[in-house]
Amino acid sequence: MKHIRLFLIVLLVGLLCFTLISCNRSSKSADKLYLYNWTYYTPDELVAKFKKETGIEIIIDNFASNEEMFAKVMAGGAEGYDIIFPSSDYTSIMINHDLVQELDHSLLPNLKYISPTVVEKADYDPGLKYHVPYFMGSSGIAVNTSRVPFEYERTWAIFADQRMAGRMTFLDDMREVMGAALKHLGYSGNTTDERELDEATALIIDEWKPNIVKFDSESFGKAFSRGEFWVVHSYPENVFAELPEEMWENVDFFIPPEGGMMYIDNMVIPKGAKNVENAHKFMNFIHDPKNYAVFLDEFDFPPTTNTGAEKYMENDAFFFTDKDLVNSDLNDDLGEHLDLYNARWQKIRYEH
Amino acid sequence: MKKAMRPAKREQLLGTLYSFPMGIWFTVFFTVPLAIIILYSFMKRGLYGGVEKAFTLEAYRQMINPSFAKVLVRTLWISMLSTILCVLIAIPVGYAMAKSRHQTLLLFLIIIPFWTNSLIRIYAWISILSTEGFLNSLLIRLGIVKEGLHLIYNNGSVILVLVYMYLPFAILPLFTTIDKFDFFLLDAARDLGATKLESIVKVMFPNIKSGLSTAFIFTFIPIFGAYTVPLLVGGKDSTMIGNIIVDQVSKTRNWPLASAFSMILTLVSLIGVFWMLASAQKEATGKKQNTLQAYEQKVKAHHGRSRR
Repeated sequence: MKHIRLFLIVLLVGLLCFTLISCNRSSKSADKLYLYNWTYYTPDELVAKFKKETGIEIIIDNFASNEEMFAKVMAGGAEGYDIIFPSSDYTSIMINHDLVQELDHSLLPNLKYISPTVVEKADYDPGLKYHVPYFMGSSGIAVNTSRVPFEYERTWAIFADQRMAGRMTFLDDMREVMGAALKHLGYSGNTTDERELDEATALIIDEWKPNIVKFDSESFGKAFSRGEFWVVHSYPENVFAELPEEMWENVDFFIPPEGGMMYIDNMVIPKGAKNVENAHKFMNFIHDPKNYAVFLDEFDFPPTTNTGAEKYMENDAFFFTDKDLVNSDLNDDLGEHLDLYNARWQKIRYEH
Repeated sequence: MKKAMRPAKREQLLGTLYSFPMGIWFTVFFTVPLAIIILYSFMKRGLYGGVEKAFTLEAYRQMINPSFAKVLVRTLWISMLSTILCVLIAIPVGYAMAKSRHQTLLLFLIIIPFWTNSLIRIYAWISILSTEGFLNSLLIRLGIVKEGLHLIYNNGSVILVLVYMYLPFAILPLFTTIDKFDFFLLDAARDLGATKLESIVKVMFPNIKSGLSTAFIFTFIPIFGAYTVPLLVGGKDSTMIGNIIVDQVSKTRNWPLASAFSMILTLVSLIGVFWMLASAQKEATGKKQNTLQAYEQKVKAHHGRSRR
């Protein structure tokens, strides 16, 4: 019996040590900065430059979706991060949940470069009290013109075109797809009117879904570059990242004129962050037009967010500009109204 | 403890001691998470993910709805069909391996693909099956078809890749049981007037029953919970339960519903495991007439136990 007890004690002590070690993320340090960002969204070049200029070392953790990030924040697992990068709807959720701290604008002189369009769209935090925009972008439609050599409609109605049946995909994303249908019908992408939602649902099920081959958010870029998919509802950076540059001329990327769903990814400092000053330094650093141009070039993004960056960019052919976004809507946080969407999306995805 | 313990008792104690690490591992990393999932499935959904501490059957009520019923039915038939195909292919393969002189080599050939990440193997299938892929360009070059066939992004491709992914799980247990089978029994059966097929069906199959049930369970359970295969090679109507669970957690923020669906997976797996145990038990307590059979059963009972 003694052995067993001894063994148990040793094991428990071991487990305890293990938990203590893993909880104690060393976050208090003058020359460190902990970021919690989307996967592949922080250019290595800027991380190195930031370290060279300020001596501050950046440590990055990644997340793949807002939901994943928010679940971690709510479970207390995000303690120790100094900057988190939520999208617009989750920025407003985090502000409403009192999870982020107010910014000190005296440390952020480069905010003057933030595009007024972005500030205007960010109605969840007027005056940028809690957040600094990181990038404003949008999904759209990419068409492989070598496979689709004929005339086609450059609106969401392209998905009703049976000539491309079986070669088109939608993002596997409720708000993106339902938003597209709502905008096509002339409604708001954030509507809570059941009649409008039903109309959009019927449009997707009857007109669009029969022509698409799948809802795909994972591998549409690869399949598009192989010529498997001809028309993809997509984020341009995913599509063009998979394509060799000489093939870019065969791609027609557009944001439908009736508008679609756009996004703004933001930077916020969570409550309890240990390196608040460093966090401000980074936010200011990234919006230095020279640095921001590096970020844009890395992903071939258009200069939608920072007004000074364009002249420093190497890339000058943009997939879209902020003018294309005038009719687009941001995902609002719909709270419990989201269930109106969930119920219909279930029907679209699983039933019909 | 001056006096030495009786050997049997001592052995029992030692057994308990040895099983402690595994017991604790099992508790911390299996029982506790499972308990959490069960609890969550009975709780109220948090508006922004997570759960609120209030008892409700809402998650189970949400489950009863035609959209999900359709997915459940699809998951069932896809997993059943893939499992049966796996076992049907695995029986002759296991037989051939057991008869072969190059068993080690063949075992290696079965196991080596496992060293490659499963996602990479799925993507390999995507490049084979694509409308612009290897298979179609081969068919076009041979003049069999004029333009690429739609071989991928449908339920057929899901079943094909599932069978490919889980075939080794069916081959290995069948191989081990067939390998232990005394092939002289087949000769004896032939001597007594059975045809070749009869001797296999009536003499061999009853003797490899435990291998068959293991193969069935080992393939059915993972296929029933499959997630990446329907996601990557499936089409617009290939969603399976595994995908719903992921969607509920990572998109819809409905953790209780995800937990409730996980409960279905766990229940189905449990039923399968109990069925397997029961069939092994039945065999072990079966007739013990001649010595050879008694010996066979001992081996099988032993295997049944170690598999738990």
